Amino acid sequence: MTANGAWISPALAVSGVAITLPWFGAILVMAWRRHPRIVGFMASLISVAASVGLLLAAPDGDSLREALMVLFSSVTLASTMMLPKRDCDAPTMAGILIILGATLASYSTDNLAVFLAGWILTAVPFLVRSWFRAPSWRPATALLLSSVALSLAIALISASGHALSIQALKGQSPGGTAVFGLLVAAVILRKGICPAQAWVADLAEGAPAIPAALLLNGHFGALVVARLILPLFPSTAGNLFPVLSWFAMATALYVAIRALTENSPRRLLSFLALSQSAVILAGLESRTAEGITGALVHWFVVTVSTMGLFGVLRLLEVRFSENLTASRYLGLAQHAPRLAVSFAVFGLALVGLPGTLSFCSQDLLIHGTLMSHPAVGVVLPIATALNAVSVFRLFARLFLGKRHTGFTHMADALPRERWVLAAGLLFVVLGGLFPNLIVAQRSAEADTVAGGLRSTSKTRPHEAVFHDRALAISGKIVRHVIAEN
Amino acid sequence: MSLSQTALVFVVMAPGAVFTLLASLWLLGWVPSERVLSRITGLTFTACLFGVATLFWTLAASHASAITVTFGNWFAVHDYRFPLVLMADRLSLPFLAMTVALSGLIGQFSATYLHRESGFFRFFLFLHLFAFGSLLAFAAGSFDLLIGGWELVGITSVFLIAFFDQRPAPVENGLRVFAVYRAADIGLLLGAFALHEWAGNASFVGGMPALKEAHATVVCLFLLLAAAGKAAQIPFSGWLPRAMEGPTPSSAIFYGAISIHAGAYLLLRAQPLLAQTQAAAACVIVIGAATAIYGTIVGRASADAKTSLAFASLTQVGVIFVEIGFGWRSVAVAHVLGHALVRTLQFLRSPSMLHDYHRMHSAIGGEISPTGKHLEDLLPQAAQVWLYRWALDRGHLDTILDRWFVHRLLQISRLFSRLDEMGMTAPSIPRKESSTWMRSPFKEAVK
Repeated sequence: MTANGAWISPALAVSGVAITLPWFGAILVMAWRRHPRIVGFMASLISVAASVGLLLAAPDGDSLREALMVLFSSVTLASTMMLPKRDCDAPTMAGILIILGATLASYSTDNLAVFLAGWILTAVPFLVRSWFRAPSWRPATALLLSSVALSLAIALISASGHALSIQALKGQSPGGTAVFGLLVAAVILRKGICPAQAWVADLAEGAPAIPAALLLNGHFGALVVARLILPLFPSTAGNLFPVLSWFAMATALYVAIRALTENSPRRLLSFLALSQSAVILAGLESRTAEGITGALVHWFVVTVSTMGLFGVLRLLEVRFSENLTASRYLGLAQHAPRLAVSFAVFGLALVGLPGTLSFCSQDLLIHGTLMSHPAVGVVLPIATALNAVSVFRLFARLFLGKRHTGFTHMADALPRERWVLAAGLLFVVLGGLFPNLIVAQRSAEADTVAGGLRSTSKTRPHEAVFHDRALAISGKIVRHVIAEN
Repeated sequence: MSLSQTALVFVVMAPGAVFTLLASLWLLGWVPSERVLSRITGLTFTACLFGVATLFWTLAASHASAITVTFGNWFAVHDYRFPLVLMADRLSLPFLAMTVALSGLIGQFSATYLHRESGFFRFFLFLHLFAFGSLLAFAAGSFDLLIGGWELVGITSVFLIAFFDQRPAPVENGLRVFAVYRAADIGLLLGAFALHEWAGNASFVGGMPALKEAHATVVCLFLLLAAAGKAAQIPFSGWLPRAMEGPTPSSAIFYGAISIHAGAYLLLRAQPLLAQTQAAAACVIVIGAATAIYGTIVGRASADAKTSLAFASLTQVGVIFVEIGFGWRSVAVAHVLGHALVRTLQFLRSPSMLHDYHRMHSAIGGEISPTGKHLEDLLPQAAQVWLYRWALDRGHLDTILDRWFVHRLLQISRLFSRLDEMGMTAPSIPRKESSTWMRSPFKEAVK
């Protein structure tokens, strides 16, 4: 019973609705097998509404979980609308709803066992051969191994006599370096950090596009860093965590270079998404206020932009060919100008086009990573520049360079798709024009995320500067900055 | 907000607002007619011209050093702030006036030149976005904001190079220019970061901050990298002739007038820092002088009018860089303005060049007499042949960049590709987009 006499707290009840309703929707759609889009849409919509309610009720500076729930349920809602008719069958919709529920469970929970259950459940549809599993062995192996690593870490924590509450474990380094190592391994495998990066492209190539994009945009690797590694292992993270940052930056650069000669649009997009999302890890690790805030804002940008890009690509595949290629010019802009513009804006928004939200997140990330690791941080603008070239190359090859011949008429974005694309474009553009609405909120959350590192004992000189500049600044100053603007 | 501040905000924001309006209307399915579009453009830039005149008049009457408008911080994280400050001073005002006047002029010219062209609407959309980006870059009160305008200029430039998008060549050239821009822009990002780190901010309202000589040198070299990329200085000069694939009005305003001089503006803005460091100033002079010599030699072997004009632009911008390196700020500003106006006229007349020559020959009753002996005639025959070959391949700059940088990068990429493919199943395995699974997933999962 709660303090006010209720059997269950309102927040828990609303969280329960946000998480379980998609699962009920999945069961319903598999049992009924009719109107999968309507069922998926309604379940996602209720999830969005419940997540928004949680966000509104969340205290200032501690609303990261709720904000991520709103983000993920919104992109899932958009996916249910954007899913082409050809793909919109009961198993696919059920898979999408299972991913939604499991991801929200992991985002919202304070219990490690529930977190692990959500982690595994999101991977299940991609392990079953006749569901979303890709032909290549690598995605299933990476997802399995990452789940095993996380399970072992949580089992070790439990075996060492600790409770499984994240709140109770903060700052205790439960299980020591072994658990820390297992968590880092789980992050590397799930996030696709070098040398485990290849499975992400295999998944994007072989699995259904939109469910695969949803899985990747859960950003479970970054979630483990933000919610487990930083708060639970402040001292270990202070000393060993920069290694993960180097790997993350190496991944960003590696896949950015790799994308330059890739001709499969799906693989190319997955490389871009991976490169940009690896930067999120580097930002979180930078332990500067700018870097962490930039990483959290970038999380939002990458999610919306890559969902938009994969969505547009799938729509093109359905209309023109399953085997689109970036090896020759296809000139599709003449058939589908609105899809072309959406692709260009989402693509450029991913790589820091001024006037979009990623311009702000990249600015903060560059400052944050350069402040903490000047030598490594310089990789970020280089990787972003290479990604921008790849984005433009893919856009040019898909949409430009060829005269439209023949009389076949292909549909541009349908009204249902147009609304979704417009909402995504509005988010990245309005977010770019008025970034402080998002940045100020993420800045306050960055303090919460970074708070776990305050007790770091062994610090390098530069970290001492960081402690002076960022961590020691109280919430009062943050509120003052917000009020001033 | 005073009249002059309102005028400054209007001048910068008006083209951006028109772009947003037109783009939104297009997304809703409405495309304005050519007449409406050209009138909107004419009205916008005429109003902006009045705004610029107000700024000139106010600045002259008040004897103030600058008109500034502060909107607070665009975003802020603790002590890191992105200030949103517009500024019109004696350096930025001529550039603002030039941008507004030439954008309006190009708009009017293009209404006829691009009549019934399939990309008419697209051209005007990008013209407004370009004008907004340029005005934002020239009126920015900090390097942070300047980066925003700078990159908008770059992206519109690329999209206009690829304007004739039904042929692969313009698109390929657009991609090449985009790559060079992005590579050079890293310098601007790092320069702004270095200023934040060493001076506490990257604002130049009230003057540039004083730095230690070593720090000033590093910042100036970063900025020089960005300026050289945008102004097609050596070693980036190879992109300029490729950019001539775009329609002539956009070539005129980008590579004859505004975009090509944006690099000079950046260095002029950083001139107080440049004055603190002889090493960086020397680099500016060397790069400018080398580019001027390169431009004049290669331009002589160019076969078409627009490319010849592009290399002539390059030569003049190289000389402007030299002037900036020597600290001759007023000379450089006057040179920029004069060069931009003349070159725009030449670009706009280039499609009618033969017609103009015929009219001129008819008027004078014969051929125009040659301008005299060229300096290259003084060289030995063998040297002339070598120089001609060197000029025909545009100084081998693209070849060197390709051989030493692009091809190696692509080789590394292919190596990574082979590494990724190790252990991969055959790529010919067909993809199943939607599940064909018709039974319960739970039964299948436990099977």
